[in-house]
Amino acid sequence: MPFKDHRDFIKTLKKTGDVVEVSKTVDWDLEAGAIGRRMYEMGGPSIWFKKIKDYPEGFTIYNGSLGTWRRVAISLGLPPETPVREIYRLYEERLEKPIDPIILEKKKAPCKENILLGDQVDLYRFPAPMIHEGDGGRYIGTWDLVVTKDPGTGWTNWGMYRFMVHNKRWLAGWPQPTSQLAYQMKKYYLPRNEPMPVALVIGADPIAHMVATAPLRLEEDEAKFAGALQGRPIELVKCETCDLLVPARSEIVIEGEILTDQIVPDGPFGEYPGYRSGTMAEGVGFRVKAITFRSNPILTMIALGVPIDDSSIAASLTAGVAMKRGLKHRGIPVVDVFVPPEGVTHLIYISVKKGGAQITREVLEYITARRVMVSKVIVLDEDVDIFDSGQVLHAFATKCHPGRGILVEHYEGRANSLTPCYSPKERERLKGASVAFDATWPPEWPPEIVPIKASFKTIYSKKIQDKIIQTWKSYGFK
Amino acid sequence: MKKEYQTFVRQYKDLNEGTQKLFVKDLTPGPRKYDTKYVKAKLCRNLKKMKNGDILRIRSESGILLPEPWGIKILEELTESVPGQPWEDVFKAMAR
Repeated sequence: MPFKDHRDFIKTLKKTGDVVEVSKTVDWDLEAGAIGRRMYEMGGPSIWFKKIKDYPEGFTIYNGSLGTWRRVAISLGLPPETPVREIYRLYEERLEKPIDPIILEKKKAPCKENILLGDQVDLYRFPAPMIHEGDGGRYIGTWDLVVTKDPGTGWTNWGMYRFMVHNKRWLAGWPQPTSQLAYQMKKYYLPRNEPMPVALVIGADPIAHMVATAPLRLEEDEAKFAGALQGRPIELVKCETCDLLVPARSEIVIEGEILTDQIVPDGPFGEYPGYRSGTMAEGVGFRVKAITFRSNPILTMIALGVPIDDSSIAASLTAGVAMKRGLKHRGIPVVDVFVPPEGVTHLIYISVKKGGAQITREVLEYITARRVMVSKVIVLDEDVDIFDSGQVLHAFATKCHPGRGILVEHYEGRANSLTPCYSPKERERLKGASVAFDATWPPEWPPEIVPIKASFKTIYSKKIQDKIIQTWKSYGFK
Repeated sequence: MKKEYQTFVRQYKDLNEGTQKLFVKDLTPGPRKYDTKYVKAKLCRNLKKMKNGDILRIRSESGILLPEPWGIKILEELTESVPGQPWEDVFKAMAR
């Protein structure tokens, strides 16, 4: 069952026991963030804070939309206990059939229930949380969806980028210089010195936000893939001040423009790799022109930090499947890709039908070709279940040759500046490196010398296995 | 009652005493806490030595708080933003 909006999703989470409503007054200044962070670290439910200090009744904060695999499964209409491998498989299968969105009339769009224009704009009307102690500001945009467009091609991009309140009518943010938003900005708006229309969407349906984290190819519209995952068209509505289209049932939509000739400071912020690591910058300045919102708006938040949280889970799924598509497209004999959430997209596992140094080199070239989000990849034979990190660790420890099995690629201008181990100098030049660990058997080895894995399933004949399984209880085992 | 402000610097040594232009966040409690202003202000490393000065808390690029706050006297509120191009700090660093 697809969810038409965030409220509909919460209703189901209530039934499955995956949300807790907090009726006690909670402070937007650190308290909500700290509670949310602790809950992630306990592997607990999502939280709906119903009373926020300094704010009128009805203005609420919600943390942790997709912070567990259970909630991801539920968002996709699957049973909560669906295995991660199956979630990956279904996500990949559904992406194959994009569905065009439909455009609603303004009067039918819940996000237009309240409209603030021009001088009425005041970002402080919303309980933007101060999430971590020492952050650069109140991040209203964490579990968000930022809409921008390339007028030249008509391509609309959705991305999940952080944005903080600068003052009552400005936001500051730092979409990475290698992001698709930056690509559109550099390609179209900067050369013309024209402000870039932008809409920051808060509290759309959970699938829309998840798709916003997907590293789709350039010029692919995320809205079509959100429809594909839901199995029905996403409903969009036109913005008040520009021609951008936004999810019609969103809780809050902040419309404005990113200026090409003005900047404001952004950050630092405790980011998705699990650190606050010098990511302070001359941020993009987002001048707000309008805010539209549902009555009793729910401000969605991620108290980002060490995994596992919404970001590391959503990106695990979306980045993993996107990489699999990309590797296949490049002719690499990929079997599966898994991005363990604990690796926060810095570490990925890839299994292949045929391994070896050449294939590992091709994998490394693929992941470092454009913007580089991954710094470590382990290439494995297909007999390893890459959704089981224990099996991956065993294969890595035993099959990766310490001398010839490690390949490194250095680059500049496209590294992920949020990688905590990079020095300040490396971060400011987007300089970095990626490493591929070849944990496959060399294909040139004759079969008779390839070591046999000493597991029950691989070192005994089927005859012995069957006998042992069939007579298991006769040994006195339960 | 002294007002409190906060500013961020990459490293503490980047901040100088005297009249400076800087972004500060107003720490007055309430729904507008952390509102950002670009100001011209007089700064003093020793809060006690600044007569009628307000409190300036200083955090590093990692958000680590300098244990001793400085003194600040705001002389003038300036613009909401400053001239510049998005990502220009990265582009400049790459060009060096």
